Amino acid sequence: MPRWGMVIDLDRCTGCAACEVACKSENNVATASPDQAAMGRAISWMKVMTEVHGEFPDNRLRFVPRPCMHCDNPPCVKVCPVAATYISPEGIVGQIYPRCIGCRYCANACPYTVKYFNWYEPTWPASERAHLNPDVSVRPKGVIEKCTFCHHRLQKAREDARAEGRELRESDYQPACAEVCPTQAIVFGDLDNVRHRVNELRHDPRAMRLMEDLGTAPKVYYLTPRQ
Amino acid sequence: MNSRWLAERAAQLKRRPRLLGLVAAAILVAGGASLVAGQRGVSQPIAFNHRKHTQDLQLDCEFCHQYVRTGAHSGLPSLEVCAMCHQARQGTSREAERVTAFVEQGRPLVFAKLFQLPAHVFYTHRRHVGIAQLECRNCHGDIALTTRPPRRPLVRVGMRACLNCHRRTGQTTDCVACHR
Repeated sequence: MPRWGMVIDLDRCTGCAACEVACKSENNVATASPDQAAMGRAISWMKVMTEVHGEFPDNRLRFVPRPCMHCDNPPCVKVCPVAATYISPEGIVGQIYPRCIGCRYCANACPYTVKYFNWYEPTWPASERAHLNPDVSVRPKGVIEKCTFCHHRLQKAREDARAEGRELRESDYQPACAEVCPTQAIVFGDLDNVRHRVNELRHDPRAMRLMEDLGTAPKVYYLTPRQ
Repeated sequence: MNSRWLAERAAQLKRRPRLLGLVAAAILVAGGASLVAGQRGVSQPIAFNHRKHTQDLQLDCEFCHQYVRTGAHSGLPSLEVCAMCHQARQGTSREAERVTAFVEQGRPLVFAKLFQLPAHVFYTHRRHVGIAQLECRNCHGDIALTTRPPRRPLVRVGMRACLNCHRRTGQTTDCVACHR
């Protein structure tokens, strides 16, 4: 059984935020108004965090794209009172929206702050409404949502593979962020499969995970920048 | 005074059930009306006779529901599909005459969907009919034997029905395999 994970090379990331845009467009994430964003209620499953090093003019900006870490030991799953968030056998931390009661325990439990509450009914400008992705449900107001590693793509890819009577290939299932990254900083695949690139990259000496000391065992690895 | 109060109270109590009854009757009538309204369900432009087509004429479901093996939706027949046979008048029924009229006038024939899939469910006919070779009857009941289009689904398919079948046949019961 695969164990889906991601490796993000911080040396390659230019902070273009194409992953953020692709994610929002793929997953029907509504745009927030400036007022809502000021209250910290904007939703961004994939977020490019910035880090400033040094003082002007000798400063450097570093970027850290942050999706859901899909922890092997997810704190959000432990606190969910209705099993709306759970970890699948393939390691994807799923969110089942019709089950979610919006208690926001998980959002508070997540050390990476990747779980977002829908404070408002999602709205889009009229020009964008026709472009919503039919493969992803639009979340109603009052539920939590999060990065799902674009698992709707896995559903389709697996079906295609079965219809054609073959095994699932690495290229069949790639989340939108990995697909769109112009510098290929985001690599996605089965962490346990030796034929997948992520397996090789996660054993790189530069590989590290965010807040590893918490014991969450994230499945998103970062390759630290070379100095 | 005491006795007068008692008499009034007794009269009140006597009257109350009647009042309550009136209110209850009003609620029942209103509720009944709304129920009847809800029971109208789905109506079709043509009273399509499934039995005639699938039993008497031995047509395959796929003949009209063209994408049942290859698509997410099985598809509802367009006027062109009806026109394959109904270009000329077929049979003696009034509905067959109406179909021919539709064809002759080139008026679009739009059938209404009977089964509605919730937006958060990933389901494709290809996976279930094309790959797993399930019978239509498993989820749609004996719709092929109906003589008039049903206003409501003959079988109510909920998550319980999906899970029961998935468990019985050893298929995945992982939430994200079907929820999206």
